[in-house]
Amino acid sequence: MRGRSTQTPADPEERPIDVDPHAMGDLIEESQDIHHDAMAATAVSLEEMVETGQEARAHGLIDPEESRQVAARRSTMMTGAAFGGGLLAAAGIAGALEALFASPAFAASATDVQILQTASSIEVLAVATYKTALTLPFIGGSAANPVVKAFATTTMQQHMQHLAAFNAAITGLGGKAQNNPDPALQKVVAAAVPGLTSAGPVVALALELEQGAAETYVADVAALSDANAKKVTASIMGVEAQHASVLLAVQALLNANAPQLITLAAGNVANLPAAAGSVGFPDAFYPTDQARPATEGALS
Amino acid sequence: MRRRTSTTEVMAISEHELTVMTNDLEQIHHDVGMPAMEAAIDEWTERTRSSRRGFLIGAGAVAGSAALVAVGTGGSAAWAGTSSKKTGKLKGDLAVAALAASLENLAVAAYGDVLKAATAGKLGTVPPAVATFATTVKAQHAQHAQAWNSAIVAAGHKAITTTDPVLTPIVVADFKKVKNVVGAAKLALVLEDDAAATYQSAISAVKATSSVKVAASIQPVEMQHAAILNFVLGQYPVPNAFSPLKGARPLTDYTKG
Repeated sequence: MRGRSTQTPADPEERPIDVDPHAMGDLIEESQDIHHDAMAATAVSLEEMVETGQEARAHGLIDPEESRQVAARRSTMMTGAAFGGGLLAAAGIAGALEALFASPAFAASATDVQILQTASSIEVLAVATYKTALTLPFIGGSAANPVVKAFATTTMQQHMQHLAAFNAAITGLGGKAQNNPDPALQKVVAAAVPGLTSAGPVVALALELEQGAAETYVADVAALSDANAKKVTASIMGVEAQHASVLLAVQALLNANAPQLITLAAGNVANLPAAAGSVGFPDAFYPTDQARPATEGALS
Repeated sequence: MRRRTSTTEVMAISEHELTVMTNDLEQIHHDVGMPAMEAAIDEWTERTRSSRRGFLIGAGAVAGSAALVAVGTGGSAAWAGTSSKKTGKLKGDLAVAALAASLENLAVAAYGDVLKAATAGKLGTVPPAVATFATTVKAQHAQHAQAWNSAIVAAGHKAITTTDPVLTPIVVADFKKVKNVVGAAKLALVLEDDAAATYQSAISAVKATSSVKVAASIQPVEMQHAAILNFVLGQYPVPNAFSPLKGARPLTDYTKG
């Protein structure tokens, strides 16, 4: 069976804590095959965006009043300006919404571009953060749990794909691709880096980023005007939520001093405590209180 | 890495700490997630009441339609729902809401039967984490169904209490083949993937922003259910960089019901 060690010693202490790296590779490869199928729908949306964007610009379909409505709509998605006491709470967001309102007449597409640029900036930061984490011996080195290492590696790649998708959407709408990190979150990450001395703080930081990304995109799908931009964002938000879910489970097992249970070995579920069955999805409805302001990562 | 002297000790400590964490997260959910969704529903409800004839792009019912009757005959009353209620056919966003509610009802019924089978010893040894998962997820799906139904009821229609009529017989047939936890998890994964894809599709299908908000607040949660199920099955928990639309249920599931 995939991912299962060949022998399971009777003594729990002697059980291998990690899966076979080759089996993990097979799992990742299989996942990527599935992914290519999933990518097809997103690619179609991006292609349509390019065509629609070109057509709209050719016909001058920019409506200032619509732009104001879009901006107001985005603001209503922001259910709170605070970050609930998490790491990202330190990131100042004051003034972002104010700036949105104060700005003169955004075109709807311009507002969409700003939202997408912020999304790109979040992805840039996520890629950089995972890249940094993978340089740490307990995340990407020989001392790392193979599942955690594989997760960090794969998740970084997925964020790179998200970045490419968001930037393609931006250029499809006639905007400029964003390849710089979210400036507010970058400060948060920079402040956290010195404290990344074990897996726990890394997981906590990654969780904050993933949760913030997922919530931002949940808010964005209701705020975006362009149908294809909405589709692209909708195809990414749940993936970030899955990243958060995995990190919640990993964090719980680390906090419980049970890192040996962080494994994809078949049958491992029998060893998990009951609470592990629900720790990965704390909300029946995904919140948006940690959504980033729409213009936070927008290019001026 | 710190090792403990026995698995039992590890699990006992893990159990306590994880339970505390879960309780904290549930509190956060009530403080944060639920109010946001309720705001969207309230927005939907308020606007529906103020324009009964059609805030939701033709919210009016088509008279004389039969109830949305689940066709499952799996021997469990939960699968069939309450077919005695008459529910007019809905249109527009409300039809999407009806489809979503019927999918959620199906999930509730499926997890309910899994738990019954587990209790009856029909699935072999059931790990505690699996029992917790099924119980918690079932409750969340019930909340999802309630959310959609609150909007439907607010628009003057009867709540959808039946299960998706097209998918139900398939799930019922598959459930009969389930003999253990792995089989149950695989079946649940299909349901979660289909639900997530349906919501993702719905985001583009509905017109009202409030409808988008509700669908968008649920899709990631179904994705999280799927991630944990993949973990349970020993599969990579985040297989796609972009969530697929494959498996999305068409609106005809509802209109043909």
